[in-house]
Amino acid sequence: MDRAFLDELRRIVGDAGVLEDALELLTYECDALPHLRETPAAVALPSTAAQVQAIVRLCARAGIPFVARGHGTGLSGGALPVAGGLVIALARLNRVLDIDIQNQRVTVEPGVTNLDITKAVAPYGFYYAPDPSSQQVCSIGGNVAENSGGAHCLKYGFTVHHVLGVEAVLPSGELVHLGGSLADTPGPDLLGLIVGSEGTLAVVTRVTVRILRRPEAVQTLLAAFDSIDAGGAVVSDIIGAGIIPAAVEMMDSLAIRAAEAAVHPNFPDADTVLIVELDGPAAEVRALFDRVEGMCKAHGATTIEVAQTDEQRMRIWRGRKAAFAAMGRVSPNYYVQDGVVPRTRLPEVLNRIRALEARSGLRIGNVFHAGDGNLHPLICYDERVAGQADAAVEVAAEILSYCIEAGGSLTGEHGIGADKSRYMPTMFTDADLGLMQRVRAVFDPGGLCNPGKVFPTPRLCGEVPGPYRQHPAEAAGLAERM
Amino acid sequence: MTADAVVIRPGTAAEVAAALKEASDAGQSLIIRGAGSKDGYGRTPSRIDVILDMQRLNHIVAHEHGDMTATIEAGASLRHVNVALALHGQTLPLDPPFADRATIGGLLATNDSGPLRHRYGTPRDLVIGVQLATTDGTLAKAGGQVVKNVAGYDLSKLIAGSFGSIAAIVSATFKLAPRPAASKTLRLHVRDIEALSAAIRTVMASQLEPVAFEVRAESVPDVVQAFKPAVLVRFASLPEVVNAQVEHAQAGLKACTTSMEVLDGEAERSLWKRHASELWDSPGAIVRASWLPANIGSALGELEQSATAGHAAVSLAGRAAVGAGHIRIEGDTSVQAALVRQLRASRIFGNIVIVRGSPELKAGVDAWGSQGDRQPLFDSLKRALDPNGTLNAGRGPL
Repeated sequence: MDRAFLDELRRIVGDAGVLEDALELLTYECDALPHLRETPAAVALPSTAAQVQAIVRLCARAGIPFVARGHGTGLSGGALPVAGGLVIALARLNRVLDIDIQNQRVTVEPGVTNLDITKAVAPYGFYYAPDPSSQQVCSIGGNVAENSGGAHCLKYGFTVHHVLGVEAVLPSGELVHLGGSLADTPGPDLLGLIVGSEGTLAVVTRVTVRILRRPEAVQTLLAAFDSIDAGGAVVSDIIGAGIIPAAVEMMDSLAIRAAEAAVHPNFPDADTVLIVELDGPAAEVRALFDRVEGMCKAHGATTIEVAQTDEQRMRIWRGRKAAFAAMGRVSPNYYVQDGVVPRTRLPEVLNRIRALEARSGLRIGNVFHAGDGNLHPLICYDERVAGQADAAVEVAAEILSYCIEAGGSLTGEHGIGADKSRYMPTMFTDADLGLMQRVRAVFDPGGLCNPGKVFPTPRLCGEVPGPYRQHPAEAAGLAERM
Repeated sequence: MTADAVVIRPGTAAEVAAALKEASDAGQSLIIRGAGSKDGYGRTPSRIDVILDMQRLNHIVAHEHGDMTATIEAGASLRHVNVALALHGQTLPLDPPFADRATIGGLLATNDSGPLRHRYGTPRDLVIGVQLATTDGTLAKAGGQVVKNVAGYDLSKLIAGSFGSIAAIVSATFKLAPRPAASKTLRLHVRDIEALSAAIRTVMASQLEPVAFEVRAESVPDVVQAFKPAVLVRFASLPEVVNAQVEHAQAGLKACTTSMEVLDGEAERSLWKRHASELWDSPGAIVRASWLPANIGSALGELEQSATAGHAAVSLAGRAAVGAGHIRIEGDTSVQAALVRQLRASRIFGNIVIVRGSPELKAGVDAWGSQGDRQPLFDSLKRALDPNGTLNAGRGPL
């Protein structure tokens, strides 16, 4: 990246919109997967879509790779910079542009946080359904890139089911409108393709989402069990009875203890807790909730707490949503994966994880979306102990292999990013990945838009798999992780 | 148009891929066909050399009822699939036009849906994985067998709405829904368009959770106040829940309706059957159309005006809260063409696509209309996946 490029960048976004000071760049070295780090050559902070377009055009002309970044809460290194490249930070595109209650849709810029959409429409009795645990801070642009889920996607689906349209800047600098306020844009669903493409196809500059009416009733219970199998059996009974809860979450004893130490949700000291939330018409919630409670009892729940107030319900969710951050209370470091297994294979895979835990000597906390089989094994390690970080990576890789063997997926909601791209060949054939690459080239023939993510790349010679070490050539700025 | 075409009936995924490659290499034109229920969609086809008839690929590869997913070959009919899924109390909740014949591949390729879209969305919302064959003979998959999965590009979305113009769907995996225990439908009769708008607003603002929410309107040319609008609201859940919802709905809607009937059992079934086919049973061109749900009043007002001015009989049936449906235009070709143009110029309606029309109509107005700033992406997608222009005989959209 030369002077002329930076001068041009300043002409587009002003002096205050360009960062190139080493100290300022620190913030942008990583997202919420902090062990993958890279220093970008510069960061641009546009405040309009037109500026984004001008920046991308400039990159296209100069052949500079760029990485779009929202609020940096991603867990797969999707916003990891490219050495020598530009980070386009979209935090200043943070306006709510249109709230249309009658038509149940909201249009925002990508830097608006997930929860701010709900806050904007809550006075009217509406909310935005996808609720990743980071919803207070994560950006909707990032949600679109990752197709974010959350605890409630079992019933309500993912970001892709709630985004009606986007405006996006293609890697060529052209502006496109995919989907829109009106339903049924003709032709292949390019919107559905862009959502979840991890910032590799375009930079989204405007998002229209649908909002939902708050359900008439919500009921939440927390049940404790002596074993994961008992909790799992309840989940099977629920789904087998044709009940689709708003959320079904499970936590094991390590995760429970961590959450308890961090935010004191008053969880029972148990092997497993199950959180079940039902919502919908009051009559339906009433009828089904009784049945769910009965199933918990039938499988030997040691305690069942039914949230009687909103405050109590929020407390339960606080315990669940704080589980990741809370691991800091029980371990100096942790590494989280979010592989998926078919729900019916959960007990088998969890037992394999427990056996692995015993074998590896690393503690593994389990917090997971039981309704849809989305695991979140939290692998505890201490980076100061030689070899532990590498061991954690190996354990994570082994857990992902269990998921693939069970017919599942490498990731349910965190994305492949830079973190798991090397495992993609375990889930997809060369032909599968080849077709995806052909589609990618339609959007980004120059390979400048968030390169090095999603797809496996040949490793640098001598590089050890794992996120903890920088290749010496990289450290010296001689090579890039492309 | 297809008299000279060779019909190939592949029985395996490899045979699908081989047929595509062979046609592509030979510079032939190939269309992919399920039950043929949507043969008339899109532009008038140019030369067709090969018809790839998918109906031998009609198996349910797997129904994982504990996971509520099913992997189904493209040529399987929706009706047969749902009979099989019902054995475990589950359903693929789609009710497109021609639901008796429509195949899984055709449904996904056209992303077609019906009234149940209100609750369950369209095929693109339910599909979680897909196996595709491309014209270079490649067999590739995307997505997976689990409902939650963000690994790699979701090409099952990309293929939705592609109308067989970029790749062939070999099989697809869907998430399923439990079959509801009971169902009732509330039919509302309203005095005029204003009352119709009020009824729709009321339901949308309420906490009612119907599975289907339809608006219907039919006009007769040269009659003032021609539109006879009606609203259908269907609830499906446990019996006591359905009853409670119906009662709530009746109480809330009393002010804006002239009469309400509650239908269940056979009467309800035949109502929905009629509703699904009525628009298609009479002659006339049919377009797909979208509008903002709250604009239904002005949308119908505009339609009524155009119909009266153009002496066309017009009917609309669609999803009230999605703002999408079909409009049938009777009358001669010039009347139909004029109305399609008016709808395309309208500020209320959008995404007007002709799904049934004579070759004369399609010669006068493009079946798809302008694709705006998406067109260059469509063009390069077509070049990338179907470089020899083998697929879909120019019917579009790509």
